[in-house]
Amino acid sequence: MRRLLQTFTKGITRENPLMVLMIGLCATLAVSTQFQGAVFMGLAVIFVLTMSNTIISVFRRFIPVEVRIPMFIVVIASFVTIVDLVMKAFVPSVYAFLGIWIPLIVVNCIILGRAEAFAYHNGVLQSIADGLGMGVGYSLVIVLFAFVRELFGSGAVKFFGVTLLALPSWYAPPAVVLLFPGAFVLYGLYLAAWRRFVTRQGREGGECA
Amino acid sequence: MRVSTVSQMALLFVGAALINNILLTRFIGLCPFFGVSSSMSTSVGMSLAVVFVMTLASGATWIAWKFVLAPLGVGEFLYIPAFILIIAALVQFVEMYLRKASPVLYRAMGIYLPLITTNCAVLATATEAAKPGFFKMNIALGASLSLGEALIYTLGVSVGFGFALLTFAALRERLEAAPVPESLKGSPIAFITAGLLSFAYVGLAGWFGL
Repeated sequence: MRRLLQTFTKGITRENPLMVLMIGLCATLAVSTQFQGAVFMGLAVIFVLTMSNTIISVFRRFIPVEVRIPMFIVVIASFVTIVDLVMKAFVPSVYAFLGIWIPLIVVNCIILGRAEAFAYHNGVLQSIADGLGMGVGYSLVIVLFAFVRELFGSGAVKFFGVTLLALPSWYAPPAVVLLFPGAFVLYGLYLAAWRRFVTRQGREGGECA
Repeated sequence: MRVSTVSQMALLFVGAALINNILLTRFIGLCPFFGVSSSMSTSVGMSLAVVFVMTLASGATWIAWKFVLAPLGVGEFLYIPAFILIIAALVQFVEMYLRKASPVLYRAMGIYLPLITTNCAVLATATEAAKPGFFKMNIALGASLSLGEALIYTLGVSVGFGFALLTFAALRERLEAAPVPESLKGSPIAFITAGLLSFAYVGLAGWFGL
C-alpha cells in the first residue's frame, strides 16, 4: 500500500512529466488557452495512460522485446480512438476545440514513455498507480496553467458557460497571454517557479521526440 | 478532379511554412524543438529527416485514406492506429533503404529516423493532409486536399519546421555564454527565448488573409 502510494505521488511531484521530465509539452501549450478544454485534455490523458499501463502490464510476459514498440502503439491507439469517438459524441464543443490534439495523444511521449519505462517491467497494481499518478501530475499542471492563462488572457474563467472566476471589469485583458508567444514565456516562468518552490532542483529530463 | 492554381499552391506553401509555423504558432513537435536544438549540427540532421519523412508519410496516409480507409468505411474509427502504423513502418523501411543505398545520407540523418516515428509533427501533418476535417487553414481548397495539395502543404510545414529549428538552435548556442539567473537556467530560459522568437511570427498573422 505504501509503495503504491509512493508510485502514485512521484508522478505528481518528483517525476512530474511536464515539470521535471519535460515530456508531452506540445499539447500543454496549445490547449491551455481554455480551462474547459484543458480539463478534458487532462481527463483524456489520465484515461489513456491508466488503461494502456494496465493492459501492457497484464500482457507484459507475452509481448516479445523486439516488437514491443509497435504493440504498445496499437494498444495506446485503441484507447485514444475510444476517447476520440466518445468526445465527438458527447461533448462536441470540446471536441471541436481540441481537434488534432485528440489523435495526437497517441504520440504523446508520456504515454509511450510510461509503457516502456514502467508498465513493461512492473506489476498491474503498480502500473495502475503509476498511470494515475503521472496522469494526475500532468492534469494538475495543465489545468492550473490554463486557469491562469484564461483568467488573465480573457478576464474570466468559464466552464460550460458558467463563470468560475472573473476579474473586475477595469482589467483589460492583454491578448498576448492567449497568443503563442505568451504561452512560451509564461511556461518558462511557470517552470522556473515550480523548480524553485516545488522540486527545488534544476534537473534536466529525458530524451524524447 | 479539382486543379488548384499556382498562386493557391504558393499560398499553401507560404501559409504552412511561415504563417502557420508548426513549431512556433501551433506548438506541434516541440519535443525535438527543445531536445535537439542545443547544437547546430544535430538540428540540421533532424530538419533533413523531418522534411524527408513527413513528405513521404503524408503521401502514404493520403493514399491509404483515399483508397483503403474511406472506401471501406472504417476510416472514422481506424484512422489513428492505421496512420501511426503506416508512419512507423515507413520510417523503418526508409531507414533500411538509406543504410543500403546512401550511407552519406544515412550518416547525416540516420539516428533521427527512429525518433521521428513518435514525433507528433509527422502524425499531425499526415492526418491533416489525409483525413478531411482536420485541415484548418483559411484557403478555399474545398473539404479535402488533393494529393498534390497534400504534398505541397506537407513540404511547407516541414520546411517551416526546419527553419524554426535552425533559428532556435543558433539562438541557443549564443545563450550558452549568456549570464542567466539561477532559477531560469536550462529549460525555463529556453522557453522564454522561444517565446521571443515566436513574437516574430505573430507579425505574420493575417498576411494574405491566412
